[in-house]
Amino acid sequence: MGVIALDRLEVRLGGRTVLNGLTGELRGHAVGLLGPNGAGKSTLINTLLGFHEPSGGNAKVLGLDARTDRMRIRQSVGYMPENDSFIGNMSGVRFVRYMAELSGLPPAAALERAHEALFYVGLGEVRYRKISTYSLGMKQLIKLAQALAHGPKLLILDEPTNGLDPTARQRMVQLIKEIRKEGSMHMLISSHLLRDIDETCDEVLILNKGRIAAISNIEEERRSHRNFIEMEMTGNTEAFAEKMQAKGCECARFAGGRVKVVMPDALGQRDLYVIAAETGAEIRRIQTRRDSLEDIFLRAMEYEGGRIDHVSLPA
Amino acid sequence: MSVFQHDYRPYDGPTTALWKRPLVLARYGLAEAWGSKITVGLAVLGLLPCVVDLVLMYLADNPVAKMLVVGGSKVLEINEKFFFGVLETQCWFALVLAAWIAPRLVSFDLGDNALPILLSHPLSRFGYVLGKFIALVVSLSYVTWIPVLILFLYQCYASPVPWAAGHLGLAVGMFLGAVVWIVMLSLIGLAVSSWVKWRVIATGAMFAVIFVPAGVGGIANAILRTKWGFLLNVPVVMSELWQRLLGAPDIFNGRLELPNMAIAGVLIAASLACVAVLNARIRAREVVRG
Repeated sequence: MGVIALDRLEVRLGGRTVLNGLTGELRGHAVGLLGPNGAGKSTLINTLLGFHEPSGGNAKVLGLDARTDRMRIRQSVGYMPENDSFIGNMSGVRFVRYMAELSGLPPAAALERAHEALFYVGLGEVRYRKISTYSLGMKQLIKLAQALAHGPKLLILDEPTNGLDPTARQRMVQLIKEIRKEGSMHMLISSHLLRDIDETCDEVLILNKGRIAAISNIEEERRSHRNFIEMEMTGNTEAFAEKMQAKGCECARFAGGRVKVVMPDALGQRDLYVIAAETGAEIRRIQTRRDSLEDIFLRAMEYEGGRIDHVSLPA
Repeated sequence: MSVFQHDYRPYDGPTTALWKRPLVLARYGLAEAWGSKITVGLAVLGLLPCVVDLVLMYLADNPVAKMLVVGGSKVLEINEKFFFGVLETQCWFALVLAAWIAPRLVSFDLGDNALPILLSHPLSRFGYVLGKFIALVVSLSYVTWIPVLILFLYQCYASPVPWAAGHLGLAVGMFLGAVVWIVMLSLIGLAVSSWVKWRVIATGAMFAVIFVPAGVGGIANAILRTKWGFLLNVPVVMSELWQRLLGAPDIFNGRLELPNMAIAGVLIAASLACVAVLNARIRAREVVRG
């Protein structure tokens, strides 16, 4: 059974179709939700949480119907919203305890878990401070702590690295990786940043204009594509290229000694050096380029014929 | 998760029943409301009239003390009129307390956009309002029906003549009158607070919601030469209701004579309007827009 199953899901808001016939099943441990602004990412999350009623089709979260089992879904889900959402005049530990109690934990257990969650996300030292005094990064982390405190089966993170500086972003990504590695809960991570999804997710759902542009298992996608290698060489590149082709590679030579090779699975990088030595060529620079999430995303967008807006890839 | 290991562990302990979740909101709401020194100060102030009433009852029920203080006068008589005065005083203190507490219960959630996170837990919009409503009703009970019924019990105990059996209806009337008022105040308080983001303005708006329609009603009465404008006058409507529930003498000397159905209709219409406002405001803020 998939974590999230969509069956011709349609959501209309204000007379406009925001999600249009989404069908698919997400089985990954960490699922990335990608798409340009207005693609319907937040609407999909809100529909899964039961805030929006589907106007057609249905959606299932952990096997529960989003239309009829919304309370049971919310019981099993931890949600970290995109925007600031907290109670500023509460201390961190009190806020997380409050949220844990709302999820059904008895008061004593909620207090214990609140302390643990705050230490886990790195806010242990500031847990008695009022949230209104927290920095932006701390506010993001306390939203994550409250989403984790009750031990959900599915963690929904909406733009978790939004507005964070590089250090805080790295800390957040690291936390997400740790949670994924721990393995007891699934994650749905919505983000504009391809790199965040690339680093943290094993499956990706790409939305464009309210439709599914692609559902892709990132690791499988990478494995299914051959390795591209770019090199800068000197010496007898012609003989090198001929020998590589004889070994079953696709090889192309360009001006300035640049050579591009598509390697079959049977060959490794060491073979390149061996063949270069045998043919009297020297490898000055070598760059391995895997098929990245960016390629997957761009292909999905091209396929959909959509325009890409506001999708950024941090340097 | 554990504090010393800093790692995550799933929760596999017991969970509370779904119906108890609004009580969590109520508990935190009460803590929030009563965490303010001003709330405590207002509540203490609200009990001072009861202390005065208690002294008056002692004097009335103690023949020697009564003789020494007021002689043979019938000024100090503990009856429906006396308890009507007690109830009216306490209920207006409740308005002051509600105007202070209600914005504290709601505006913090709205100000920091906490609704999306609160309602992403197993809690419905109705559950959210119910939790806040319970917190407000419990707080207002502290200055309304609880002290009034304690005074009633004291009178039952202290009266030199059998008194309780003949006045049980008075206790029921006071309880009902206070409950109707605090339910109304709670709904108005929550509706106003959900509409106005700033607490101070919300406090002022609450008085405005009670007294501005009274002025409009007065103008309507004067221009149209009718009594129906009194239906917009909450203080008058409630006084009329309390007087009828307690069986006290008519303080308006028959000038009003509003039908019971009209009074009930106004109160129900006002309550429904508050519920509609609450539903609209919370629905608008329950999801992150963007």
